[in-house]
Amino acid sequence: MSEHCRGAIDITDLGVVFNAGSNVVQAVSSVTMDVKSGEFVSLIGPSGCGKSTLLNIVAGFVQPTSGSALVDGAAIRGPGSDRGVVFQQYSLFPWLTVRKNVEFGLKMKGVPVAQRVPQARTLLGLAGLLAFENHYPDQLSGGMKQRVGIVRALATSPQMLLMDEPFGALDAQTRVVMQEILTNMWQQFRISVLFITHDIEESIFLSDKIYVMTARPGRIKAEIKVPLLRPRTPEMTYTPAFIGLVQQLKALIREESLAAMGAELKDGGLTGFGMEIGPQGIEKVV
Amino acid sequence: MSTVRALRKEDPVTVDRGGEEPAPVTPTAAPPEVASAVHNAALLWLRGNGISMLLWLISIGMLLGIWYIGTKYKLEFYIRFTNVPTPGEVLQKLSHVNESGKFLLNIGISVRRILIGFSIAVVLGATLGLLIGRYRVARDLLFPICEVLRPIPAIAWVPMAIMLWPTNEVSIVFITFLGSFFPILINTIHGVHSIDPVLIRAARCLGASEFRLFANVILPGAMPHIFTGFSVGMGVACVSLIAAEMISGQFGVGYFTWEAYSLVSYAEIGLGMITIGVLGLVCSGVIQVIGKLLMPWSSYANAGKK
Repeated sequence: MSEHCRGAIDITDLGVVFNAGSNVVQAVSSVTMDVKSGEFVSLIGPSGCGKSTLLNIVAGFVQPTSGSALVDGAAIRGPGSDRGVVFQQYSLFPWLTVRKNVEFGLKMKGVPVAQRVPQARTLLGLAGLLAFENHYPDQLSGGMKQRVGIVRALATSPQMLLMDEPFGALDAQTRVVMQEILTNMWQQFRISVLFITHDIEESIFLSDKIYVMTARPGRIKAEIKVPLLRPRTPEMTYTPAFIGLVQQLKALIREESLAAMGAELKDGGLTGFGMEIGPQGIEKVV
Repeated sequence: MSTVRALRKEDPVTVDRGGEEPAPVTPTAAPPEVASAVHNAALLWLRGNGISMLLWLISIGMLLGIWYIGTKYKLEFYIRFTNVPTPGEVLQKLSHVNESGKFLLNIGISVRRILIGFSIAVVLGATLGLLIGRYRVARDLLFPICEVLRPIPAIAWVPMAIMLWPTNEVSIVFITFLGSFFPILINTIHGVHSIDPVLIRAARCLGASEFRLFANVILPGAMPHIFTGFSVGMGVACVSLIAAEMISGQFGVGYFTWEAYSLVSYAEIGLGMITIGVLGLVCSGVIQVIGKLLMPWSSYANAGKK
């Protein structure tokens, strides 16, 4: 199933401006980044920094205002099944069983039932969900729903997966297990992944490369390579190399989170309470 | 291959560690235990619902009791039971009217009118509702007409309908249609608007064209609301039908009831009323059953409701 030399993302000097009535918001500014074929790349940054906007551009939901975003050298024209998307909210169709949800993309492609059923079952088997193929999404737990979401996105054999904080709504333990399942599946399929998260450990555990974004307007603040070996195991999270990366990323993110909050304060958020954001964090203004 | 094994091994762990149990699956009891299981289940059900059932019986009993006492002693205290038929008389009438077959004919004709009028409303209301809900052009073009006509109750259309349509029969069907059309239309539009936008995005990412999106996401996504529209629409259709039959009808349960009043056949009034009630109950029951069959997932979606 691996497609070598495909699934590459090239983003050059990209800018996005949203017009919300009279408000003009620069969501993303001069972003240059890339995801190589088969690479697992995370985008991390404070909330509201434009991470999701970037992913939505690659997914084809948002048009860039300036600069270019290419997939395999071609401009992106709307959403399509060559790019599988996993959303933060559970996005399974509640009226379809688990298996029919997985079949959905194949059905849209016109794959006949006789072919798509075994394909869906194989994938469900890989994710340990075969026993639940005839369940409805509302009968599943959050972690299982998200696994079905991943399997559904993989079913059309996309060149890449775009994941927008897919484990954001899960509890901590489920999250850890889901991360392991995801790395395992990624190693099998060897497709590119663009993964958005605000969880530092998660980004290190999963990625080959991490982009840290600045507060709005979102720019790329740092590009960090993760030198950890594959396959990754939970034990790796205790190694000095891992902990070193965590500290490095935490420092980067902290600066940006404070900057983001500072901007919110200036907009009139907390100023009334006599607070201000300084280099040491939130400070009381006398 | 090793990763596959790792995954499989991992899986039960997922369930344990995450503390995530799937929703209960239909229990499968071993044959020897079935009898006692059924017995236990029945006991449990009775314990849970016994008081409920008792209260139901008391509730219905009170209604019948008031009717019986009021009519037996011909009570008169502002409300006058003097001419009201007793439950016994109505029951007796039921066995009487069955002899001629005219009563059954009336029911059959009413049912036919409802079926035709309601079916047209289902097709038109749901189709237009889906289009208006999804497309701006359709909304701007069609919704103003609907909004202007909607506040006029179906019954108010009776004189106009008699003028508009060639026969009385058609005008009664038209009134029935009108009654159910607007609730179905409005609920369908609401259903389309209530679809989670993330589902539409997901479908687009999975390669759904607009046509396939419409058939595979918009329609099933709006389905629960469409069925709410069917239920409400059926109720209004029944009301409109009876009114139309009373005013302009020949045949039909509404006509039967009104004719009974004209002919001073009081027991038939009671019988007509009860028939109308039962007819409405059956019609909405049928819609509920069809809804459950078409939307087996809906019972899980509402798992939180008691």
